[in-house]
Amino acid sequence: MMSKSTQRIKTIAKKEVIEFVRDWRTIVAIIIIPILMFPVLFIIFPVLLESEAAELDNKIVNIEIQSNEYPLFLIETFNQTYTKVAYVNATFNNSLSIPMNDLDRVRNMEIDAILRLNYTDDIWYYSVIHLSTSEGSSEAKNRIISSLITFENNITELRISQGGLEVDSTLDPIRWDGDLSKADVATEGEQAGLILSLFIPLVLAIWTFSSAIQPSIDMTAGERERGTLEALLGLPCTRNELLLGKWLGVATITGVGVLLQIVGLLFAIGYLASSDFIGIPALSFGAIILIIISIMLFAIMVVALELALAMRSHSVKEAGSILGPAIILIIFPALFTQVINLDGIESFWFGIPVINILLALRELLLDRVILEHVVIWIASSVFYASLAAYYAAKQFKREDIVTTLS
Amino acid sequence: MSAENILLKISSVRKNFAEVLALDNVSFDIKSGEVVGLVGSNGAGKTTLLRLMSGVYRPSSGSITLGDDTPVHLMRDHLGVVPESTGLYSRLTAWENIRYHSRLYGIDDSVSWKRTLKFAQSLDMEENLSRYTKGFSRGMRQKTALLRALAHGPKVLLLDEPTAGLDITSARTVRSLVEQIKQEGGTVVYSTHQLFEAQQVCDRIIIIHNGNVMADGSPEQLISDNNCATLEEAYVALTQEKARVRFEDSKRDKGFTKVWHKLFRPKTPNLSEIKDVIDDE
Repeated sequence: MMSKSTQRIKTIAKKEVIEFVRDWRTIVAIIIIPILMFPVLFIIFPVLLESEAAELDNKIVNIEIQSNEYPLFLIETFNQTYTKVAYVNATFNNSLSIPMNDLDRVRNMEIDAILRLNYTDDIWYYSVIHLSTSEGSSEAKNRIISSLITFENNITELRISQGGLEVDSTLDPIRWDGDLSKADVATEGEQAGLILSLFIPLVLAIWTFSSAIQPSIDMTAGERERGTLEALLGLPCTRNELLLGKWLGVATITGVGVLLQIVGLLFAIGYLASSDFIGIPALSFGAIILIIISIMLFAIMVVALELALAMRSHSVKEAGSILGPAIILIIFPALFTQVINLDGIESFWFGIPVINILLALRELLLDRVILEHVVIWIASSVFYASLAAYYAAKQFKREDIVTTLS
Repeated sequence: MSAENILLKISSVRKNFAEVLALDNVSFDIKSGEVVGLVGSNGAGKTTLLRLMSGVYRPSSGSITLGDDTPVHLMRDHLGVVPESTGLYSRLTAWENIRYHSRLYGIDDSVSWKRTLKFAQSLDMEENLSRYTKGFSRGMRQKTALLRALAHGPKVLLLDEPTAGLDITSARTVRSLVEQIKQEGGTVVYSTHQLFEAQQVCDRIIIIHNGNVMADGSPEQLISDNNCATLEEAYVALTQEKARVRFEDSKRDKGFTKVWHKLFRPKTPNLSEIKDVIDDE
């Protein structure tokens, strides 16, 4: 049998979720966007890039080669591309990179790019006059560089063989033997954990914070502005029950959003990757339990803090002005945590707020359960979550929260 | 007044908000079955008093008790409150709004539904119970808030300006409902600044001005005690001191916000400049 208090907390949370979900914009924000964000970023965006690249490959560009020697082999390398090449015999007294009279021709797009060559003492000096802000000119420059690399390889090979050396062993004297992946003693599961440990903590931290902002504001400063809070405060539920009910509501909405985003991320990675790239991370039961605990502690802290700050604000606008920029407090530690080396990491890192949970998640996704670290991050996270909850309770117990200032 | 009939007892209540004294030494009793009007101008302290009576605020000193001397904030399940803002959730239907509060009062859905239907008939609201409150008129919102406050069967109904902003028909319906509750033996505290309404609805009127109780009695008693012809005249005689500003309006910016607002404060012409312009014209 549920106690009266639990019943009231459940009623408040249920109403908050129902009311929130009935707004179609919320469905877009907590379901559609999280599911689609990573697939769009990792699947559709590369497809678009590929199609743009293919379009560029088929684009006809005009280049001019200015040289004191006719580079027959180089000109032949352009035959397989959609490139129109014009040759001009020229000698240069200044640096090849100074555009001189060609400046206006390239800027006005009369020609996409100009390759200047000067053959002196067995060396081909070159420069490419181009317009970096033009897509066609940049593509022309890329094709020229690509042809020059082939040209250079050809000359190098010719000179090595003329010197009486074997080309292959001279150019590639040190080689890996066998299958590269077989030499890695990490299991596929551990490798998958390493890749996921670079994404999951980051996504979890940023999305938890950002997706809790709107419901937190709506359920506190929003309620006050709409005048619904006063009616609620006159009911026989305590302020702590009210806080817990609202916390549960925000945590549910945020939890669904974060979960769907991770599903979208895993789908995108799985779709993009070959079977060698990603698999199911090999996690022990203990690591899974600790991951759940770390996420819960982080959610308690973040949601309580956001509810407190939103309740403390005089209006929805003020709450938005405070909570919006506050996401920096998560983004910086989240990015910073990605570059911290986990091998031989000092224990104090696991006592710093936000960083402790992110590092814990990284370690746990690698299935590293180090007792000292676990004790420190759990103790410090419980402390920070308690502080946030205490601060939130203090805000909810303020008498003036009923006053509508807007 | 016989002691056994006293339902709500307000004893020497003072309420401060920082340096602002909102209510000063307010004392009165409300008997079971009475309809008591709290009358006063904006900022008089009516809403503060109602919030104290509903347990939203706690007195700075003094006490408010319900029944057998239990502080009112511990007896909130016996109160029904309709704040001035009505406080309805627009993405819930009228019935869902009512049911939400009833569940928080610990009342079974079937019980609150029966009570809701009974009063919904009086307010002509049966057809609207399944509608979202988003499109409701002010009158419909007020009626829904009343149904919500009555659904758990409160001992005392606290109404903060229930007819403010309503059309004539809606206001009349609300007053009729209060009359019905009175006939059924219910107790109502009715805050208003409409004297004719207080006279029409209430057995007793308490005039509050600048945080003090200026008079307490039946409309007839207030008229005769002040040697006036009408209640309006009696009210004017009792509230001659200039009304203060509302507490919320008197709040001042602090710290950095104060400096920031000062930077962007528009220039306002002073009184002498305005007089010069009028004289020139």
